[in-house]
Amino acid sequence: MSKIQSIADAAELVPDGATVAIGGLSMNATPMAFVRELVRRQVKDLTLVPIVNGMAVDWLIAAGCVSRVVSGLVSFEGFGLAPNFRAAVQSGQVALEEYSEHLLIARMQAAAYHLPFMPTKAGIGTDVLALHPETTRLETDPATGESYVAATPLPVDIAVVHAHAADERGNVRVDPKLVWMDSEVVKAAATTIATVERIVPERSFRSEPHRTTYPRFVIDAVVEVPWGAYPTSNFPDYQHDAGFFRAYSAASRDPDTFKQFFEERVVAPETHAQFLDANGGAQTILSIRRRTM
Amino acid sequence: VSATTRDDLAVPGYACTVDELMVVTLAREFTNDTRAFNGAVSFVPVAAYLLARRTHAPDLVWAASSIAIDADPPQLAESTLSDAIWDGASMLANSPFDFWSYAQGARYNTFAFRGAQMDRYGNVNNTVIGPYDAPKVRLPGGGGMADLSCMIPNIYLWSTTHDPRTFVDKLDFRSGIGWGDGGDHRERLGLPGGPRLCVTNLCVFDFHPESKGMRLRSVHPGVTPEQVHDVTGFEVLLPDGEVPVTAEPSAEQLRILREDVDPTSMRLREFA
Repeated sequence: MSKIQSIADAAELVPDGATVAIGGLSMNATPMAFVRELVRRQVKDLTLVPIVNGMAVDWLIAAGCVSRVVSGLVSFEGFGLAPNFRAAVQSGQVALEEYSEHLLIARMQAAAYHLPFMPTKAGIGTDVLALHPETTRLETDPATGESYVAATPLPVDIAVVHAHAADERGNVRVDPKLVWMDSEVVKAAATTIATVERIVPERSFRSEPHRTTYPRFVIDAVVEVPWGAYPTSNFPDYQHDAGFFRAYSAASRDPDTFKQFFEERVVAPETHAQFLDANGGAQTILSIRRRTM
Repeated sequence: VSATTRDDLAVPGYACTVDELMVVTLAREFTNDTRAFNGAVSFVPVAAYLLARRTHAPDLVWAASSIAIDADPPQLAESTLSDAIWDGASMLANSPFDFWSYAQGARYNTFAFRGAQMDRYGNVNNTVIGPYDAPKVRLPGGGGMADLSCMIPNIYLWSTTHDPRTFVDKLDFRSGIGWGDGGDHRERLGLPGGPRLCVTNLCVFDFHPESKGMRLRSVHPGVTPEQVHDVTGFEVLLPDGEVPVTAEPSAEQLRILREDVDPTSMRLREFA
Protein backbone atom coordinates (compact mmCIF):
# COMPACT_ATOMS: atom_id res chain seq x y z
CA MET A 1 0.00 0.00 0.00
CA SER A 2 1.31 3.40 -0.90
CA LYS A 3 2.12 5.72 1.96
CA ILE A 4 2.10 8.79 -0.26
CA GLN A 5 -0.53 11.25 0.90
CA SER A 6 -1.60 14.75 0.11
CA ILE A 7 -0.46 17.29 2.68
CA ALA A 8 -4.11 17.83 3.70
CA ASP A 9 -4.69 14.12 4.30
CA ALA A 10 -1.46 13.75 6.24
CA ALA A 11 -2.37 16.72 8.43
CA GLU A 12 -5.51 14.84 9.49
CA LEU A 13 -3.20 12.43 11.32
CA VAL A 14 -2.66 15.24 13.84
CA PRO A 15 -5.69 15.49 16.15
CA ASP A 16 -6.34 18.32 18.60
CA GLY A 17 -4.34 17.80 21.77
CA ALA A 18 -1.59 15.72 20.14
CA THR A 19 2.07 15.80 21.16
CA VAL A 20 3.94 16.68 17.98
CA ALA A 21 7.73 16.61 17.65
CA ILE A 22 9.03 18.88 14.91
CA GLY A 23 12.27 17.99 13.17
CA GLY A 24 15.07 20.23 11.99
CA LEU A 25 17.37 22.50 13.97
CA SER A 26 17.09 26.27 14.31
CA MET A 27 16.98 27.70 10.76
CA ASN A 28 17.49 24.32 9.12
CA ALA A 29 15.42 21.49 7.63
CA THR A 30 12.14 22.12 9.44
CA PRO A 31 8.96 20.69 7.80
CA MET A 32 7.51 24.18 7.36
CA ALA A 33 4.99 23.30 4.62
CA PHE A 34 3.40 20.78 6.97
CA VAL A 35 3.52 23.25 9.85
CA ARG A 36 1.71 25.76 7.63
CA GLU A 37 -0.98 23.17 6.92
CA LEU A 38 -1.53 22.76 10.68
CA VAL A 39 -1.76 26.55 10.98
CA ARG A 40 -4.40 26.68 8.22
CA ARG A 41 -6.41 23.83 9.75
CA GLN A 42 -6.52 25.59 13.13
CA VAL A 43 -5.51 22.47 15.04
CA LYS A 44 -5.91 23.11 18.77
CA ASP A 45 -4.11 22.39 22.04
CA LEU A 46 -0.98 20.91 20.56
CA THR A 47 1.99 20.06 22.72
CA LEU A 48 4.98 20.89 20.52
CA VAL A 49 8.34 19.23 20.99
CA PRO A 50 10.92 21.24 19.04
CA ILE A 51 14.36 20.48 20.49
CA VAL A 52 15.96 23.63 19.07
CA ASN A 53 13.71 25.62 16.75
CA GLY A 54 12.17 28.99 15.99
CA MET A 55 9.86 29.81 13.12
CA ALA A 56 7.70 26.64 13.26
CA VAL A 57 6.94 27.24 16.92
CA ASP A 58 6.25 30.92 16.35
CA TRP A 59 3.78 30.25 13.48
CA LEU A 60 1.80 27.67 15.43
CA ILE A 61 1.63 29.91 18.50
CA ALA A 62 0.61 32.91 16.37
CA ALA A 63 -2.21 30.77 14.95
CA GLY A 64 -3.42 29.73 18.41
CA CYS A 65 -2.67 26.03 17.87
CA VAL A 66 -0.42 25.49 20.89
CA SER A 67 -1.02 25.01 24.60
CA ARG A 68 2.39 23.65 25.60
CA VAL A 69 5.97 23.71 24.29
CA VAL A 70 8.62 21.19 25.38
CA SER A 71 11.94 22.60 24.19
CA GLY A 72 15.54 23.53 24.83
CA LEU A 73 15.70 26.73 22.81
CA VAL A 74 13.33 28.80 20.69
CA SER A 75 14.75 31.80 18.82
CA PHE A 76 15.54 33.30 15.43
CA GLU A 77 19.23 33.51 16.34
CA GLY A 78 20.86 36.51 14.63
CA PHE A 79 17.37 37.77 13.68
CA GLY A 80 16.31 38.06 17.31
CA LEU A 81 13.85 36.45 19.69
CA ALA A 82 10.82 34.52 18.40
CA PRO A 83 8.19 37.20 19.08
CA ASN A 84 4.98 35.18 19.49
CA PHE A 85 6.74 32.49 21.52
CA ARG A 86 8.21 35.10 23.82
CA ALA A 87 4.93 36.96 24.32
CA ALA A 88 2.86 33.78 24.82
CA VAL A 89 5.22 32.33 27.43
CA GLN A 90 5.57 35.66 29.25
CA SER A 91 1.77 36.05 29.42
CA GLY A 92 1.21 32.42 30.41
CA GLN A 93 -0.94 31.71 27.34
CA VAL A 94 1.45 28.90 26.42
CA ALA A 95 3.09 26.67 29.02
CA LEU A 96 6.79 25.98 28.54
CA GLU A 97 8.30 22.72 29.73
CA GLU A 98 11.95 23.50 29.42
CA TYR A 99 14.94 21.20 29.16
CA SER A 100 18.34 21.40 27.58
CA GLU A 101 19.08 19.97 24.16
CA HIS A 102 20.78 16.81 25.36
CA LEU A 103 18.28 16.17 28.15
CA LEU A 104 15.57 16.12 25.47
CA ILE A 105 17.60 13.82 23.24
CA ALA A 106 18.21 11.52 26.22
CA ARG A 107 14.48 11.50 27.07
CA MET A 108 13.66 10.56 23.49
CA GLN A 109 16.32 7.84 23.48
CA ALA A 110 14.81 6.41 26.67
CA ALA A 111 11.43 6.34 24.90
CA ALA A 112 12.92 4.76 21.78
CA TYR A 113 14.77 2.02 23.68
CA HIS A 114 11.88 1.36 26.08
CA LEU A 115 14.15 2.04 29.04
CA PRO A 116 13.03 3.57 32.35
CA PHE A 117 15.68 6.26 31.86
CA MET A 118 18.75 7.21 29.86
CA PRO A 119 21.77 8.35 31.90
CA THR A 120 23.61 11.53 30.96
CA LYS A 121 25.90 14.15 32.51
CA ALA A 122 23.82 16.93 30.96
CA GLY A 123 22.59 19.71 33.23
CA ILE A 124 24.42 18.77 36.44
CA GLY A 125 24.98 21.87 38.57
CA THR A 126 22.54 24.02 36.58
CA ASP A 127 19.01 25.11 37.48
CA VAL A 128 17.60 23.15 34.53
CA LEU A 129 17.36 19.87 36.47
CA ALA A 130 15.32 21.44 39.26
CA LEU A 131 12.63 22.53 36.78
CA HIS A 132 11.51 18.91 36.31
CA PRO A 133 12.94 16.72 39.07
CA GLU A 134 10.48 13.96 38.13
CA THR A 135 11.72 13.57 34.53
CA THR A 136 15.39 14.54 35.01
CA ARG A 137 16.42 12.91 38.28
CA LEU A 138 19.89 13.51 39.70
CA GLU A 139 21.09 10.12 40.92
CA THR A 140 24.26 8.45 42.12
CA ASP A 141 25.56 5.22 40.65
CA PRO A 142 25.82 2.84 43.63
CA ALA A 143 28.82 1.05 42.13
CA THR A 144 31.05 4.05 41.37
CA GLY A 145 29.53 6.87 43.40
CA GLU A 146 29.39 8.93 40.21
CA SER A 147 26.50 11.35 39.65
CA TYR A 148 24.33 11.17 36.57
CA VAL A 149 20.98 12.43 35.40
CA ALA A 150 18.27 9.82 34.81
CA ALA A 151 16.26 11.23 31.90
CA THR A 152 12.87 9.50 31.70
CA PRO A 153 11.06 8.61 28.45
CA LEU A 154 9.34 11.43 26.58
CA PRO A 155 6.34 9.98 24.76
CA VAL A 156 5.71 11.58 21.37
CA ASP A 157 2.51 10.94 19.40
CA ILE A 158 3.62 12.23 16.04
CA ALA A 159 6.98 13.17 14.58
CA VAL A 160 7.15 15.36 11.48
CA VAL A 161 10.48 15.54 9.68
CA HIS A 162 11.68 16.91 6.35
CA ALA A 163 13.99 14.87 4.11
CA HIS A 164 15.32 14.74 0.58
CA ALA A 165 13.60 11.68 -0.90
CA ALA A 166 11.21 8.82 -0.20
CA ASP A 167 9.60 5.97 -2.08
CA GLU A 168 5.93 5.07 -1.95
CA ARG A 169 6.54 2.34 0.62
CA GLY A 170 7.92 4.85 3.08
CA ASN A 171 11.67 4.39 2.84
CA VAL A 172 13.22 7.80 3.48
CA ARG A 173 16.58 9.22 2.53
CA VAL A 174 18.25 12.20 4.14
CA ASP A 175 21.03 12.80 1.66
CA PRO A 176 23.58 13.99 2.63
CA LYS A 177 23.01 12.19 5.91
CA LEU A 178 22.37 15.25 8.04
CA VAL A 179 19.72 14.08 10.45
CA TRP A 180 20.22 16.72 13.16
CA MET A 181 18.33 15.18 16.07
CA ASP A 182 15.60 13.92 13.75
CA SER A 183 16.73 10.29 14.02
CA GLU A 184 16.00 10.29 17.75
CA VAL A 185 12.69 12.10 17.23
CA VAL A 186 11.57 9.50 14.69
CA LYS A 187 12.59 6.61 16.94
CA ALA A 188 10.68 8.05 19.91
CA ALA A 189 7.42 8.77 18.05
CA ALA A 190 4.42 6.46 17.66
CA THR A 191 3.67 7.89 14.20
CA THR A 192 6.03 9.61 11.78
CA ILE A 193 5.16 11.83 8.84
CA ALA A 194 7.98 12.62 6.42
CA THR A 195 7.73 15.51 4.01
CA VAL A 196 10.25 15.12 1.18
CA GLU A 197 11.64 17.13 -1.68
CA ARG A 198 10.91 14.30 -4.13
CA ILE A 199 9.40 10.85 -4.50
CA VAL A 200 11.72 8.34 -6.16
CA PRO A 201 11.10 4.76 -7.31
CA GLU A 202 11.72 1.95 -4.83
CA ARG A 203 14.55 0.63 -6.99
CA SER A 204 16.45 3.82 -6.20
CA PHE A 205 16.54 2.70 -2.55
CA ARG A 206 17.28 -0.96 -3.37
CA SER A 207 20.18 -0.02 -5.63
CA GLU A 208 21.85 2.05 -2.89
CA PRO A 209 20.50 0.70 0.41
CA HIS A 210 23.42 2.17 2.37
CA ARG A 211 21.99 5.61 1.68
CA THR A 212 18.62 4.90 3.31
CA THR A 213 18.06 6.85 6.53
CA TYR A 214 14.70 5.64 7.89
CA PRO A 215 13.24 2.22 7.06
CA ARG A 216 9.69 2.01 5.74
CA PHE A 217 8.31 0.39 8.91
CA VAL A 218 8.85 3.55 10.98
CA ILE A 219 7.33 5.91 8.41
CA ASP A 220 3.54 6.21 8.31
CA ALA A 221 2.98 8.91 5.70
CA VAL A 222 5.05 10.48 2.96
CA VAL A 223 4.21 13.89 1.50
CA GLU A 224 6.03 15.26 -1.52
CA VAL A 225 6.68 18.99 -1.06
CA PRO A 226 9.55 20.50 -3.06
CA TRP A 227 11.01 23.48 -1.16
CA GLY A 228 9.02 22.12 1.77
CA ALA A 229 11.43 23.44 4.42
CA TYR A 230 11.10 27.04 3.19
CA PRO A 231 11.72 29.55 4.80
CA THR A 232 14.21 27.33 6.68
CA SER A 233 17.04 25.69 4.76
CA ASN A 234 17.46 22.25 3.29
CA PHE A 235 21.15 21.50 2.90
CA PRO A 236 22.65 21.39 0.32
CA ASP A 237 19.86 22.56 -1.99
CA TYR A 238 18.73 25.83 -0.46
CA GLN A 239 19.51 28.17 2.42
CA HIS A 240 17.15 29.84 4.88
CA ASP A 241 15.42 32.93 3.49
CA ALA A 242 16.99 35.77 5.47
CA GLY A 243 14.51 38.18 3.84
CA PHE A 244 11.55 36.31 5.30
CA PHE A 245 13.06 36.18 8.79
CA ARG A 246 13.86 39.89 8.66
CA ALA A 247 10.39 40.88 7.39
CA TYR A 248 8.67 38.64 9.94
CA SER A 249 10.67 40.11 12.83
CA ALA A 250 10.05 43.67 11.59
CA ALA A 251 6.30 43.07 11.21
CA SER A 252 6.05 41.63 14.72
CA ARG A 253 6.86 44.99 16.30
CA ASP A 254 3.25 46.10 15.74
CA PRO A 255 0.29 43.74 16.37
CA ASP A 256 -1.81 44.97 13.41
CA THR A 257 1.11 44.88 11.02
CA PHE A 258 1.97 41.38 12.15
CA LYS A 259 -1.62 40.17 11.79
CA GLN A 260 -1.71 41.39 8.21
CA PHE A 261 1.76 40.02 7.42
CA PHE A 262 0.95 36.61 8.89
CA GLU A 263 -2.36 36.42 7.06
CA GLU A 264 -0.96 37.45 3.66
CA ARG A 265 2.38 35.67 3.74
CA VAL A 266 1.60 32.50 5.71
CA VAL A 267 -2.08 31.70 6.30
CA ALA A 268 -3.99 32.85 3.21
CA PRO A 269 -2.10 31.11 0.37
CA GLU A 270 -3.98 27.89 -0.36
CA THR A 271 -1.34 25.80 -2.06
CA HIS A 272 2.38 25.50 -1.38
CA ALA A 273 3.02 27.14 -4.77
CA GLN A 274 0.83 30.09 -3.80
CA PHE A 275 2.68 30.30 -0.48
CA LEU A 276 6.01 30.51 -2.30
CA ASP A 277 4.52 33.12 -4.66
CA ALA A 278 3.32 35.19 -1.70
CA ASN A 279 6.93 35.29 -0.53
CA GLY A 280 8.67 36.38 -3.68
CA GLY A 281 8.18 33.29 -5.84
CA ALA A 282 10.87 32.57 -8.40
CA GLN A 283 12.99 35.55 -7.30
CA THR A 284 13.19 34.18 -3.77
CA ILE A 285 13.71 30.59 -4.88
CA LEU A 286 16.64 31.61 -7.06
CA SER A 287 18.16 33.81 -4.38
CA ILE A 288 18.24 31.10 -1.69
CA ARG A 289 19.45 28.33 -3.97
CA ARG A 290 22.78 27.13 -2.65
CA ARG A 291 25.61 27.43 -5.14
CA THR A 292 28.58 25.97 -3.34
CA MET A 293 29.16 23.11 -1.00
CA VAL B 1 29.26 50.42 24.20
CA SER B 2 25.80 50.42 22.67
CA ALA B 3 26.18 51.44 19.05
CA THR B 4 27.66 49.46 16.20
CA THR B 5 29.52 51.95 14.08
CA ARG B 6 33.23 51.52 13.59
CA ASP B 7 33.95 54.88 15.26
CA ASP B 8 32.06 53.96 18.44
CA LEU B 9 33.97 50.71 18.72
CA ALA B 10 37.43 52.19 18.11
CA VAL B 11 40.08 51.18 20.66
CA PRO B 12 42.13 54.25 21.64
CA GLY B 13 45.73 53.97 20.52
CA TYR B 14 45.22 50.67 18.69
CA ALA B 15 44.60 50.30 14.95
CA CYS B 16 41.48 48.21 15.58
CA THR B 17 37.97 48.14 17.01
CA VAL B 18 36.89 46.41 20.20
CA ASP B 19 35.19 43.52 18.37
CA GLU B 20 38.50 42.83 16.65
CA LEU B 21 40.40 43.10 19.92
CA MET B 22 38.01 40.55 21.50
CA VAL B 23 38.31 38.09 18.61
CA VAL B 24 42.11 38.30 18.55
CA THR B 25 42.37 37.99 22.34
CA LEU B 26 40.27 34.82 22.27
CA ALA B 27 42.11 33.44 19.24
CA ARG B 28 45.44 33.72 21.09
CA GLU B 29 44.15 31.24 23.68
CA PHE B 30 43.54 28.50 21.13
CA THR B 31 46.18 26.00 20.05
CA ASN B 32 46.67 23.02 17.75
CA ASP B 33 45.15 20.91 20.56
CA THR B 34 41.93 22.93 20.58
CA ARG B 35 38.98 20.83 19.42
CA ALA B 36 36.03 23.19 19.31
CA PHE B 37 32.50 23.51 18.02
CA ASN B 38 29.93 26.27 18.31
CA GLY B 39 26.29 26.96 19.09
CA ALA B 40 23.89 29.76 18.18
CA VAL B 41 24.81 33.47 17.92
CA SER B 42 28.52 32.79 18.47
CA PHE B 43 30.12 35.16 15.98
CA VAL B 44 32.99 36.25 18.23
CA PRO B 45 34.30 32.74 19.12
CA VAL B 46 33.65 31.40 15.60
CA ALA B 47 35.76 34.23 14.18
CA ALA B 48 38.40 33.46 16.84
CA TYR B 49 38.58 29.74 15.95
CA LEU B 50 38.94 30.57 12.26
CA LEU B 51 41.53 33.25 12.96
CA ALA B 52 43.59 30.91 15.18
CA ARG B 53 43.42 28.16 12.57
CA ARG B 54 44.49 30.52 9.81
CA THR B 55 47.42 31.91 11.83
CA HIS B 56 49.20 30.06 14.66
CA ALA B 57 47.08 26.90 15.07
CA PRO B 58 46.58 25.22 11.68
CA ASP B 59 45.62 21.87 13.26
CA LEU B 60 42.90 23.33 15.46
CA VAL B 61 39.62 21.44 15.01
CA TRP B 62 36.46 23.49 14.59
CA ALA B 63 33.09 21.92 13.83
CA ALA B 64 30.93 24.68 12.38
CA SER B 65 27.49 24.59 14.02
CA SER B 66 28.79 21.46 15.79
CA ILE B 67 28.25 19.71 12.45
CA ALA B 68 30.66 20.73 9.68
CA ILE B 69 34.12 19.61 10.78
CA ASP B 70 37.00 21.63 9.28
CA ALA B 71 34.59 24.00 7.53
CA ASP B 72 36.36 26.79 5.69
CA PRO B 73 33.66 29.32 4.81
CA PRO B 74 34.46 32.32 2.59
CA GLN B 75 32.50 34.48 5.04
CA LEU B 76 30.24 34.19 8.08
CA ALA B 77 26.41 34.34 7.97
CA GLU B 78 23.57 35.76 10.11
CA SER B 79 23.38 32.50 12.00
CA THR B 80 26.29 30.49 13.37
CA LEU B 81 24.05 27.40 13.13
CA SER B 82 23.51 28.12 9.45
CA ASP B 83 24.62 25.76 6.71
CA ALA B 84 25.93 28.87 4.98
CA ILE B 85 29.15 28.45 7.01
CA TRP B 86 29.76 24.79 6.18
CA ASP B 87 31.66 25.16 2.91
CA GLY B 88 34.84 23.14 2.69
CA ALA B 89 34.02 20.73 5.53
CA SER B 90 35.83 17.40 5.67
CA MET B 91 32.89 15.76 7.45
CA LEU B 92 29.26 16.56 8.16
CA ALA B 93 28.59 15.09 11.59
CA ASN B 94 25.26 13.83 12.85
CA SER B 95 24.18 15.03 16.24
CA PRO B 96 23.28 11.76 18.01
CA PHE B 97 26.13 9.68 16.55
CA ASP B 98 29.02 11.99 15.80
CA PHE B 99 28.59 14.84 18.24
CA TRP B 100 27.22 14.02 21.67
CA SER B 101 29.38 10.97 22.18
CA TYR B 102 32.49 13.02 21.38
CA ALA B 103 31.27 15.87 23.59
CA GLN B 104 30.46 13.76 26.65
CA GLY B 105 33.74 11.93 26.22
CA ALA B 106 35.66 15.26 26.03
CA ARG B 107 37.05 14.42 22.58
CA TYR B 108 35.83 17.91 21.92
CA ASN B 109 37.58 19.98 24.57
CA THR B 110 36.64 23.61 23.94
CA PHE B 111 33.32 25.44 24.08
CA ALA B 112 32.45 29.14 24.27
CA PHE B 113 29.17 30.59 25.42
CA ARG B 114 27.65 33.87 26.54
CA GLY B 115 24.46 34.85 28.27
CA ALA B 116 22.16 37.68 29.22
CA GLN B 117 23.57 37.39 32.75
CA MET B 118 26.88 36.11 34.10
CA ASP B 119 28.08 35.79 37.71
CA ARG B 120 31.54 35.90 39.31
CA TYR B 121 32.09 32.17 38.86
CA GLY B 122 31.27 32.24 35.15
CA ASN B 123 27.83 30.68 35.49
CA VAL B 124 25.50 31.98 32.80
CA ASN B 125 21.78 32.73 32.38
CA ASN B 126 20.12 32.70 28.99
CA THR B 127 16.69 31.51 30.14
CA VAL B 128 14.66 34.23 31.91
CA ILE B 129 15.08 37.68 33.40
CA GLY B 130 13.02 37.88 36.58
CA PRO B 131 11.23 35.02 38.35
CA TYR B 132 11.06 31.80 36.31
CA ASP B 133 7.28 31.45 36.60
CA ALA B 134 6.53 35.12 35.88
CA PRO B 135 9.46 36.28 33.79
CA LYS B 136 10.06 39.91 32.92
CA VAL B 137 11.77 38.71 29.75
CA ARG B 138 11.48 35.21 28.37
CA LEU B 139 14.86 34.57 26.71
CA PRO B 140 15.46 31.87 24.05
CA GLY B 141 16.55 29.20 26.52
CA GLY B 142 19.88 27.56 27.13
CA GLY B 143 19.81 25.07 24.24
CA GLY B 144 22.83 22.86 24.72
CA MET B 145 24.46 25.17 27.26
CA ALA B 146 23.42 23.15 30.33
CA ASP B 147 24.76 20.01 28.67
CA LEU B 148 28.01 21.22 27.22
CA SER B 149 28.99 23.38 30.19
CA CYS B 150 29.00 20.08 32.16
CA MET B 151 30.89 18.06 29.59
CA ILE B 152 33.60 20.27 28.10
CA PRO B 153 36.79 21.02 30.08
CA ASN B 154 37.89 24.30 28.46
CA ILE B 155 35.12 26.87 28.65
CA TYR B 156 35.48 30.38 27.27
CA LEU B 157 33.03 33.15 28.02
CA TRP B 158 32.52 36.42 26.27
CA SER B 159 30.25 39.43 26.57
CA THR B 160 29.75 42.44 24.34
CA THR B 161 27.69 44.23 27.02
CA HIS B 162 29.87 44.69 30.09
CA ASP B 163 27.36 46.41 32.39
CA PRO B 164 25.68 45.76 35.76
CA ARG B 165 22.68 44.13 34.07
CA THR B 166 24.93 41.48 32.51
CA PHE B 167 27.56 40.99 35.23
CA VAL B 168 25.34 40.34 38.22
CA ASP B 169 25.81 39.27 41.81
CA LYS B 170 23.13 36.59 41.48
CA LEU B 171 21.72 34.99 38.33
CA ASP B 172 17.95 34.80 37.86
CA PHE B 173 18.51 31.29 36.46
CA ARG B 174 21.61 29.14 35.98
CA SER B 175 21.34 27.91 32.38
CA GLY B 176 24.99 26.91 32.12
CA ILE B 177 27.51 26.09 34.80
CA GLY B 178 30.90 27.71 35.08
CA TRP B 179 32.73 27.14 38.38
CA GLY B 180 29.35 26.60 40.11
CA ASP B 181 29.45 27.95 43.67
CA GLY B 182 33.22 28.49 43.34
CA GLY B 183 36.18 26.71 44.93
CA ASP B 184 36.13 23.00 44.18
CA HIS B 185 32.37 22.85 43.56
CA ARG B 186 32.70 21.83 39.93
CA GLU B 187 35.10 19.05 40.81
CA ARG B 188 32.77 17.82 43.55
CA LEU B 189 29.99 17.60 40.97
CA GLY B 190 32.24 15.33 38.90
CA LEU B 191 32.53 17.82 36.04
CA PRO B 192 35.75 18.27 34.06
CA GLY B 193 37.76 21.52 33.80
CA GLY B 194 35.89 24.81 33.91
CA PRO B 195 35.92 28.37 32.55
CA ARG B 196 39.37 29.62 31.53
CA LEU B 197 38.71 33.17 30.42
CA CYS B 198 35.98 35.74 30.00
CA VAL B 199 36.59 38.37 27.32
CA THR B 200 34.38 41.45 27.42
CA ASN B 201 34.18 44.72 25.55
CA LEU B 202 36.06 46.37 28.43
CA CYS B 203 38.52 43.81 29.78
CA VAL B 204 39.71 40.22 30.09
CA PHE B 205 39.02 38.12 33.20
CA ASP B 206 40.68 34.91 34.24
CA PHE B 207 39.64 32.98 37.35
CA HIS B 208 41.37 32.93 40.72
CA PRO B 209 42.98 29.49 41.12
CA GLU B 210 41.50 28.92 44.59
CA SER B 211 38.20 30.79 44.87
CA LYS B 212 37.48 30.55 41.11
CA GLY B 213 36.17 34.13 41.18
CA MET B 214 36.65 36.37 38.14
CA ARG B 215 39.95 38.22 38.30
CA LEU B 216 41.07 41.06 36.05
CA ARG B 217 43.74 39.77 33.70
CA SER B 218 43.92 42.93 31.59
CA VAL B 219 41.94 46.03 30.72
CA HIS B 220 41.45 47.23 27.16
CA PRO B 221 43.16 50.54 26.25
CA GLY B 222 41.33 53.55 27.70
CA VAL B 223 39.60 51.47 30.39
CA THR B 224 40.63 51.59 34.05
CA PRO B 225 40.16 48.87 36.67
CA GLU B 226 37.91 51.34 38.53
CA GLN B 227 35.63 51.61 35.51
CA VAL B 228 35.39 47.83 35.33
CA HIS B 229 34.59 47.74 39.03
CA ASP B 230 31.83 50.33 38.57
CA VAL B 231 29.95 48.37 35.89
CA THR B 232 30.36 44.91 37.41
CA GLY B 233 27.72 43.69 39.85
CA PHE B 234 30.17 41.72 41.99
CA GLU B 235 33.59 42.28 43.51
CA VAL B 236 36.23 42.08 40.81
CA LEU B 237 39.40 40.36 42.01
CA LEU B 238 42.68 42.08 41.09
CA PRO B 239 45.97 40.46 40.13
CA ASP B 240 49.18 41.12 42.04
CA GLY B 241 50.74 44.39 40.89
CA GLU B 242 49.50 46.61 38.12
CA VAL B 243 46.69 45.48 35.83
CA PRO B 244 48.17 45.01 32.33
CA VAL B 245 46.63 46.43 29.17
CA THR B 246 45.23 43.88 26.70
CA ALA B 247 47.84 43.19 24.02
CA GLU B 248 47.41 44.84 20.62
CA PRO B 249 46.45 42.64 17.68
CA SER B 250 49.11 42.33 15.01
CA ALA B 251 48.57 43.85 11.58
CA GLU B 252 48.55 40.34 10.14
CA GLN B 253 45.86 39.12 12.55
CA LEU B 254 43.69 42.11 11.72
CA ARG B 255 44.16 41.68 7.98
CA ILE B 256 43.17 38.01 8.09
CA LEU B 257 40.19 38.72 10.33
CA ARG B 258 38.93 41.57 8.16
CA GLU B 259 39.62 40.17 4.73
CA ASP B 260 39.48 36.43 5.15
CA VAL B 261 37.58 35.32 8.26
CA ASP B 262 34.69 37.77 8.54
CA PRO B 263 34.75 40.21 5.60
CA THR B 264 31.05 41.12 6.03
CA SER B 265 31.52 41.88 9.76
CA MET B 266 28.82 39.52 11.01
CA ARG B 267 30.48 39.76 14.44
CA LEU B 268 29.05 43.26 14.79
CA ARG B 269 25.60 41.65 15.17
CA GLU B 270 26.67 40.95 18.72
CA PHE B 271 27.17 44.66 19.36
CA ALA B 272 23.67 45.84 18.38
